[in-house]
Amino acid sequence: MQHQDNGIWVSVDDLNREASFLKSAEQEFLLDELAEAPAAWTPSRRDFLKLMGFSLGAATVAASCEIPMRKAIPHVIKPDAIVPGVANYYASSFVNGSDYCAILVKTREGRPIKIEGNTLSSVTAGGTSARAQALVLSLYDTRRLKYPGKIEDGEVKKLSWKALDEKIKGQLQLGGNIRIITHTIISPTAKKALGEFIAKYPGTRVVTYDPVSHAALLAANEACFGVRGIPTYKFDAADVIVSFGADFLGTWVSPIEHARGYASRRKIQSLGNPAMSRHYQVESYMSLTGSNADMRIQIRPSEMGAAICTLYNEIAQKTGAPAISAPALNEKAKAALKKAASDLLAARGKTLVVCGTNNVMEQIIVNKINDLLGNLNSTIDFSVLNNLHQGDERDMMRLIGEMNAGQVALAIVWGANPAYELPNAEQFKAAFAKVNTRISFSTILDETTLLCNYVAPTHHLLESWGDAEPKTGHYSLIQPTIAPLFDTRQAELSLLEWADSPNLNRQDEQPYYQYLKSHWADEMKAKQSKYATATAFWDMSLHDGVFEVPPAQRTVSFSPNVALNAAAVTQPGAGAVEIAFYETVNIGNGQYAHNPWLQEMPDPVTRTVWGNYLCIPVEWDGKKKMTGWMGLEDGDKVEVEVKGKKHLCTVVRVCGQAPGTVAIALGGGRESGGCGVGHGVNVNPWLPIEGGFIQYFAKEAKVSGKVGAEKNFACVQHHHTMGLSAKDAESGQTINADEQVLAYQGALTDRSIIFQAHVNELASLRQKMAEFHKHASHLNEQTLYPDRADYFGTGLKWAMFIDLNACIGCGACQVACVSENNVPVVGKNEVGRHHEMTWLRIDRYYYGDLENPRVVYQPMMCQHCDNAPCENVCPVNATNHSAEGINQMAYNRCIGTRYCANNCPYKVRRFNWLDYTTADTFPANEERLFRVEEGDIPFYADNLVRMVLNPDVTVRSRGVIEKCSFCIQRIQEGKLTAKRENRPLEDNDVRTACQTACPTGAIVFGNINNPQSAVSQAIKKQEELAYQVLEEINTRPGVRYSAKVYNA
Amino acid sequence: MLLKRFFSISGVLLAAFSLLQAAPNVEEGKNLFMTNCASCHSRDMKTNLTGPALAGVEERWAAYPRQDLYKWIRASQALIAEGHPRAVELWAQWKPTLMNNFPGLTDDQIESILLYINDVANKKAAAATQAGQQPGVGASKDDSSTTWIFVSIAVVLGLLSFALMRIVDNLRNLARVQAGQPPVRRTLGDMLTSKGTIAFMVFAATLILGYKTVDNATRMGRQQGYQPEQPIAFSHALHAGVNKIDCQYCHDSARRSKHASIPGANTCMNCHTVVKKGTKTGTAEITKIFASIGYDPITNKYILDYENWTEKQIEDLYKQWIGQEYLADKGLPALDEQGRMTVQMQWEGIVKALKNDSNGKIQGPIEWVRIHNLADHAYFNHAQHVAVGQVACQQCHGPVEQMEEMHQYSTLGMGWCINCHRQTEVKFKDNDYYQQYARYYEELKSGKREKVTVADIGGLECQKCHY
Repeated sequence: MQHQDNGIWVSVDDLNREASFLKSAEQEFLLDELAEAPAAWTPSRRDFLKLMGFSLGAATVAASCEIPMRKAIPHVIKPDAIVPGVANYYASSFVNGSDYCAILVKTREGRPIKIEGNTLSSVTAGGTSARAQALVLSLYDTRRLKYPGKIEDGEVKKLSWKALDEKIKGQLQLGGNIRIITHTIISPTAKKALGEFIAKYPGTRVVTYDPVSHAALLAANEACFGVRGIPTYKFDAADVIVSFGADFLGTWVSPIEHARGYASRRKIQSLGNPAMSRHYQVESYMSLTGSNADMRIQIRPSEMGAAICTLYNEIAQKTGAPAISAPALNEKAKAALKKAASDLLAARGKTLVVCGTNNVMEQIIVNKINDLLGNLNSTIDFSVLNNLHQGDERDMMRLIGEMNAGQVALAIVWGANPAYELPNAEQFKAAFAKVNTRISFSTILDETTLLCNYVAPTHHLLESWGDAEPKTGHYSLIQPTIAPLFDTRQAELSLLEWADSPNLNRQDEQPYYQYLKSHWADEMKAKQSKYATATAFWDMSLHDGVFEVPPAQRTVSFSPNVALNAAAVTQPGAGAVEIAFYETVNIGNGQYAHNPWLQEMPDPVTRTVWGNYLCIPVEWDGKKKMTGWMGLEDGDKVEVEVKGKKHLCTVVRVCGQAPGTVAIALGGGRESGGCGVGHGVNVNPWLPIEGGFIQYFAKEAKVSGKVGAEKNFACVQHHHTMGLSAKDAESGQTINADEQVLAYQGALTDRSIIFQAHVNELASLRQKMAEFHKHASHLNEQTLYPDRADYFGTGLKWAMFIDLNACIGCGACQVACVSENNVPVVGKNEVGRHHEMTWLRIDRYYYGDLENPRVVYQPMMCQHCDNAPCENVCPVNATNHSAEGINQMAYNRCIGTRYCANNCPYKVRRFNWLDYTTADTFPANEERLFRVEEGDIPFYADNLVRMVLNPDVTVRSRGVIEKCSFCIQRIQEGKLTAKRENRPLEDNDVRTACQTACPTGAIVFGNINNPQSAVSQAIKKQEELAYQVLEEINTRPGVRYSAKVYNA
Repeated sequence: MLLKRFFSISGVLLAAFSLLQAAPNVEEGKNLFMTNCASCHSRDMKTNLTGPALAGVEERWAAYPRQDLYKWIRASQALIAEGHPRAVELWAQWKPTLMNNFPGLTDDQIESILLYINDVANKKAAAATQAGQQPGVGASKDDSSTTWIFVSIAVVLGLLSFALMRIVDNLRNLARVQAGQPPVRRTLGDMLTSKGTIAFMVFAATLILGYKTVDNATRMGRQQGYQPEQPIAFSHALHAGVNKIDCQYCHDSARRSKHASIPGANTCMNCHTVVKKGTKTGTAEITKIFASIGYDPITNKYILDYENWTEKQIEDLYKQWIGQEYLADKGLPALDEQGRMTVQMQWEGIVKALKNDSNGKIQGPIEWVRIHNLADHAYFNHAQHVAVGQVACQQCHGPVEQMEEMHQYSTLGMGWCINCHRQTEVKFKDNDYYQQYARYYEELKSGKREKVTVADIGGLECQKCHY
């Protein structure tokens, strides 16, 4: 089923031409429909006079104020490394349970303010994720625990470290079983410290589980290959990829690494020989990875086992292996899998089949498929194991048994939050209460910490020393970039302290630093021969942030003793509605729920913010109407019952959700610890446990009809829409939707936002685009504007190229932009009113089959048009053009007419409706303005949070427009560097925040006047496939995109 | 005729003026007073501010030799320490406020200031008693002369318009008479309250007020000439002028950062471990650096646990040092009354300079008062101007090497920046960075272009400074 217009649509409502959608698209800023409209106020003449008198008086008083005396306070002893005003970068690592990223931390005057990728790491190679980018904000979380103490009545009663140590040591010496509950620990030195603790208290055992389990994969690999580990998946070497519900680009195993490899095979390397990989995704809900797939095979979650067995049988048939009795699978999926099998067989040894389920037999069969296809030791490499997922929830279940039996005397919770994350959290809580002494290392007062007796808060990652081994032989160091903000102590140090470690130099200012250093001198130095002394080795490793040892080759073979048993895979359920639970790229299983940047980053697929929403399927009547399942609409509330537990969920319709299924993300409904409290619902109690493994779907879910509607439903998909075409209801002609709703002058119906084609149709796409370029340039020749080629041809001219084939929609760039440019967080209420402030948004467009479409993500920011429509309409010339091709915005000149935003065809200008940064609000008014909870203060009002601000970027106040500046501060800095070094500008001098954050290299930026620059070369390589959005309206944008190519 | 006379008189006056320049005179006194004294002493000489009102200062010091007054002005603390009766009396009255030292003033300059003080004081007195009388012939002519011309022009124009109105009136009456109507005689009052006059007045008022409002609004927040009192009487004239220390020796980040930054105390100590006493201020100022960083000038060692020292310990150490040096200078065996006073005063100076609300301790950084404050939304980078543009510091900061006390020399307004960007030529050929501007190269070569200014490479664009 092809969409009748241009094959591109943004949502169900777009297809239907719903009045609500048109209205939403019409109103760039939703002015009415306040959730709670303030009481109407009709000012009288006297009120007017009063206000005028007050304003006049206030202005007079303010104007006559003396200029305040400002101090300039130098260092007493200035450190060599610090030059005020110049950023320092420190190599470190982002490690949080199963997340890893090698990073550089940018600090200014001693404050960490930005995370960049570390290109020296071969694991992440300079790429980052949204989670890594947001790390820096969590450092300045006002709800961090500020001192150690005893927990009484949900509060921390302060204790000194000495007193706490004495109390805990007293408890430890009583003997009995000690349990340390953690997520995966990948730090060799932390493990050594744990070892010392265990040696001192032999009753100790470490219990590890992961927030989202990969335990079945580990168990299957142990059974099949004798290696309890996760191999390296080489997506860059795979011609055909089949993924059974593994969200390998978003959350599965090592997404940053996968994204790079995957994208390298999605970019059009040469028009003659695109050499694109083909990607099948078998899943029920639209995952980030699935949205990038060439072919999505829709199944119900319980059919996953059947799908895997079906593919196995197809492969086995051709390779002569014995068939197994596959459970029933829907015919459509069967046919698609048959095609997948033939593709796989055609590219034997260069394919990859991955599986994200938590069922051991399913993983074993997938291993066997890979074995039959010859992928083992080729695209699946066991030489380098991935250490990020070592947890096993069965261990946790055992622990609950032990605690219930009263066998555990003391429990330490380190980095984990089982009272929220476990499906059987209630059982855990009951059992945990039976433990005599409960200690938490948490940095916030989370659900589990509230159940503890003592809290010994650890440092934030950016205040800590540490190391990590995310993959075999890939070591990575963590170094502090700021002195501890609060009276906290690193967890490892607490353990060593309580273990009375003889290896700890307590006199030292930073004992754990010395401990770490000596561990590296003793254990790591021997792994290399480049540096003779321990000091040189340490210094270089710390400088680089990573230290990599070439791995020993390890080949594996599938154990002949493993029998495939189709009965052990998930059997299709009989329930009318099945529900899938998934991890999102931003919130995870709630670990990141307290980070406002991540909460306000729209989910890539549903594009909702601040919470988790129930994804429901849509139905196409075959003609012109798409209806949500049961007639539900976005924002409706329904009651969902799983395992006898009920929750009210808000619905969002998703194209591509398999019929008869619904899905909801993990991580909502946090109950304690930060700003995530009260957003979404906690679905963890719904997760079934089968055979000891947590299952991320339930075969039976009861969904009621509409029981209400969420007041401030916040989904950004219909905000700032542009260039939509539609069929006119009466004449049947294709018209521009904008024209219809906005009365947009001179609009053209054939609008160029996305071009897409099959990889085999590149030739015709090129022809089509060449014609389009010709048509556009014909239109653009009829211009009144003078030709400014000469003007822009001198010196620098900035341009950006975004490869839509490499963009996977992960959102790292969006958070990077927020972090770099001091973009404020506005909260759910404001997002619901179209007031989100993000300079860079990632537009999601659907194309292809209506019920099972493909997705193209388009990062959209200010296009820096050379004929910018916004510039002409500014009455005060606050926005204008530079000779370097930048659309400049002078905030202090802006008077807030918003004419520019109205006139921007790309809808990328943002208006500060409220004083989001609290730059010029009287504190007494803040609460009323932001409608925050009592006693709460708006984001950025706290000086601690303001430490995250980039001092090189103005903090905008209320009433001004802002937008992407092409990271002008970075441009100015890069130019200055080149000038000071007496050389022409190079590509590496200027890299925008979005560019550096991107894990796939989809964004290229540079000087287009230089034919040798990376951006010129990238555009040249694409030839006609590169285009400018809305090229035909003669705005002459500085950003170019590539056509989206798929390989179905 | 009248004008010619006026010019000749002014010519004579000017000549006389230039002859008088060398000897003490009111004009020089005014300048000196404004730069040195006006921050503490009232300009009307009648009211007490930070320092006492200066009217009648000569009478009050008449009982003592003129040299004592000079000495007092140059180094008041020294005179107090000597036990000079008038000095002690003043100290008793005004302590703990210290008067700044002005060792650089010559006798003639001091005389000039005194002349100016008398002049102002007498004029005020004259104005008070002889209100309504014509201004004296000897009064300074600089401001009033131009105002006078404008006032006369205004009067002449006023009379002219009055005459014109009369003529119009008469003509109108003539017309009425010719039309057979009775003439209407308008009084002066009628004319002044006529629609035309009122409309003109409103127009003029709007114009003047509007101009004044805009003018004042642009000046808001600007602080050209700002010269706050600093915790240490640091003299740029001595360091940069006499000793010729390069600006960037201390302001070392100017070449590599946006901030020029004030040097840390450890930079001061590079020299002041050796130079432990000032030529003019003795131990009074330099000891403040020692007390900030924790340097024991007696043993020439840094104090390792200075962080933990009590104020008493610090007081004992530096009082000992100041006393010891006082004895050495005077060649005395033990501290006399004056010595004790010197020690106490200098110690109080240290406390005042270093201890403040933000830290409450002597130890720690010296909190200078920031003079150059750019608006938050304006980005300025020293490295760009110093390292790349090779602009001399003095171009914006003025003759710092002559400034005893630092003040803001330029307006730091946007118009001032823009003007410079328009005029300044880019060091085009010396820097390979500019190779990117191929067209300019060609134009320079072909002679089509004489120079490339900062404006030519985008120096006037908003986002060069605002982002």
